[in-house]
Amino acid sequence: MRNIISILIRNEAGALARVANLFSSRAYNIDSLSVAPTDDQSVSRITLVTFGSQEILDQIIKQTRKLIDVISIIDMTDDDYHEREFALIKIEVGSISNHNLSLLMESYGASILSEKDNFYTIEIIASSEKVDDFIKAITAKIPIDSIVRSGALAIAKGKPLLQKNS
Amino acid sequence: MSTKKHPLSNQSVSGADKIVQILADQGVDTLFGYSGGAILPVFDAVFRFNQINKHLDGSDALPMVVPANEQGAGFMASGYARASGKPGVVIVTSGPGATNCVTPIRDAMADSIPMIIISGQVSTGAIGTDAFQEAPVNSLMGSIAKHVFLITDPEKLEATVRTAFFIASSGRPGPVVIDIPKDIQNHVSLFEEDSLLDLSGYKDRIEKISKNKISEAQCSEFYDILKDSKKPLIYAGGGSIHANISEELKALCENLNIPIVTTLMGIGIISTEHKNCLNMLGMHGTAYANYAIDDCDVLIAVGSRFDDRVAGDPPEFAPKAKKIIHFDIDPSEINKVKGVDFYFLGDIKQAIADLDQYHNEHNLGLDFSAWLKECQDNKNKYAMNYDRNSSLIQPYAVIEKINALTKGNAIISTGVGQHQMWAAQYASFHRPRLWLTSGSMGTMGFGLPAAIGAQFARPDALVIDIDGDGSIRMNIGELETASSYNLPIKILLLNNLGDGMVMQWQRMFYQSRMSASDKSLRKKDFIKTAQADGFDLALRVTENKELDSALKQFIEHKGPAFLEVLIDPEASVLPMVPPGQSYKHMVTGDFIPNRYKESDKEVNSSAMF
Repeated sequence: MRNIISILIRNEAGALARVANLFSSRAYNIDSLSVAPTDDQSVSRITLVTFGSQEILDQIIKQTRKLIDVISIIDMTDDDYHEREFALIKIEVGSISNHNLSLLMESYGASILSEKDNFYTIEIIASSEKVDDFIKAITAKIPIDSIVRSGALAIAKGKPLLQKNS
Repeated sequence: MSTKKHPLSNQSVSGADKIVQILADQGVDTLFGYSGGAILPVFDAVFRFNQINKHLDGSDALPMVVPANEQGAGFMASGYARASGKPGVVIVTSGPGATNCVTPIRDAMADSIPMIIISGQVSTGAIGTDAFQEAPVNSLMGSIAKHVFLITDPEKLEATVRTAFFIASSGRPGPVVIDIPKDIQNHVSLFEEDSLLDLSGYKDRIEKISKNKISEAQCSEFYDILKDSKKPLIYAGGGSIHANISEELKALCENLNIPIVTTLMGIGIISTEHKNCLNMLGMHGTAYANYAIDDCDVLIAVGSRFDDRVAGDPPEFAPKAKKIIHFDIDPSEINKVKGVDFYFLGDIKQAIADLDQYHNEHNLGLDFSAWLKECQDNKNKYAMNYDRNSSLIQPYAVIEKINALTKGNAIISTGVGQHQMWAAQYASFHRPRLWLTSGSMGTMGFGLPAAIGAQFARPDALVIDIDGDGSIRMNIGELETASSYNLPIKILLLNNLGDGMVMQWQRMFYQSRMSASDKSLRKKDFIKTAQADGFDLALRVTENKELDSALKQFIEHKGPAFLEVLIDPEASVLPMVPPGQSYKHMVTGDFIPNRYKESDKEVNSSAMF
């Protein structure tokens, strides 16, 4: 089962490493991890995508919640939420007809950011699943020369779920 | 708030002076540490503190105990903490000083022991440059400690050191490391007296859990489960020792006539000789304790965590228990290994007392004396036993004889292996914090330094390190620490010329191929070692007939004493539940009756650990 976990964490030396260490020490999976400061520079928000059974997920949440730097943690997938991932993709100009490329981009809501040195840089902002599909659709036709993904970001629909104090 | 003015009030002092003052303010009375370049300012501050702060007898207010190796300091602090319940404090230098503490820190974390480890670090400007004696303490300890602080802002030093004590002792206790660069130790600024770090999140969670009281409805639910039960059993672990619930648990057991088994870490929560106590359960538990687990219809776990040495085969653990109840302070232990039907997270001391009171106030009159009688009968029928006619010295007999002299009142520490299990099985403990052992991590070399730390915590107590020849070698440098500080600790070495537990497994599962475990050709002369290291009493016993007088002389000796006993090298720890298996597969040997037919099932050795 795929779960998106959101964590508010104090920006202390080694705080992110401790979350990553906990996952590797306990053999939990991290599919993607995204972290940046919030409006409060002393607090960062981590969005972490993991796979595992309900029992493992339960342990992931409880063990992570024991970390001293963790202010709060929730399983976002328990509730209704927005999920977005950002990806930048490079393909060679002319490797696919402009018509086909336009169709593909239109159906996924992607757009061309730049054309330079005979390469297009394409951006897409969508759910991780949709980004996956977009990448599959391109690679079915032509090779991708370079790709960078942000990992999933998630936030609750409606009132905020992740509290600044647990 | 005290109206007395703080000694450093309104004074500008160095970071090192602040650290030492906060240690004193926190009630620390003994430090364990080893000096070195990056921690020199703190050691100097300790020296200066002790010049002006003395006890009435002229001794230092903050004595520094110096080991042979920093690992020794770590285990001394651990022994101190286990014997006293107060955090043990370690001060070491950067690089190797800190890395030598990795093992005791992980050991303390695994057994939930409160400790504060202050390590010097290279100056902030040199961090990350592969400087002399630099090690990434923050990353190393982050994986193993309850928490680690790297102080990079001198203004946060005071608050951090104070907060570390709160973290180490609150909730489920554990070790907290404070990594302090040398320039921070030298930085001079105003002493703040009472600053703390913002711990919102952790602090809120801890307060919520520790304020949690058992409700009337929960008491009623608990007793509804017991009303449907004929055979409830309490399974108490190390958490019950940390929570100091000895009196409350005893009252509940006695009031309802519920039998109790303890884990290795829970030994002493109730006297091992108490009529309700069925002693240790698990891999090397007593047969009667394990039978009680197999027979109980309700299992009440108290500060215990269904670890693999207890529940090797979790689905088959307590197979007849219709309900499992769990009392703990750590939410992550609930439903981790076994699903529970009722749990209470919070102040388990108050909860157990409230449950007892609820039973009385509601005149529930629950009485499980028939079941308790059944357990007591099993205790007689399947009692611990061994070959009492052997011409070779039996280790069990040695511990029984020690026990006859100390009568369950001595503090006993151990290394790890057979001698540890024999001590757990055959020694008596009338109170908590007498039994000091490395349970979860199983760290060989724990016993001697832990005994030293315990003797500092309890100067008047009789402290015995029951050790093995493999384990004691690992920190044998600390023999000289014990004698130099003139500690009257007693070291009982059960020498079976090898790593006995490994050899037992090799006999059982590896067709007796004694790979790297047989030490019968090793050159070590433990008596000469003890003598050279300042033990004025160092005896070796090789014959049964010498044992009684040697033990008496050993225990009655005023100073540090060393007794080596050459035991039957083939003596095994029994009973034994093979790893990963249920109690039905328990092997009890030739001298303890077994109500189950001994398993002839093939054991897959690669699946065992």
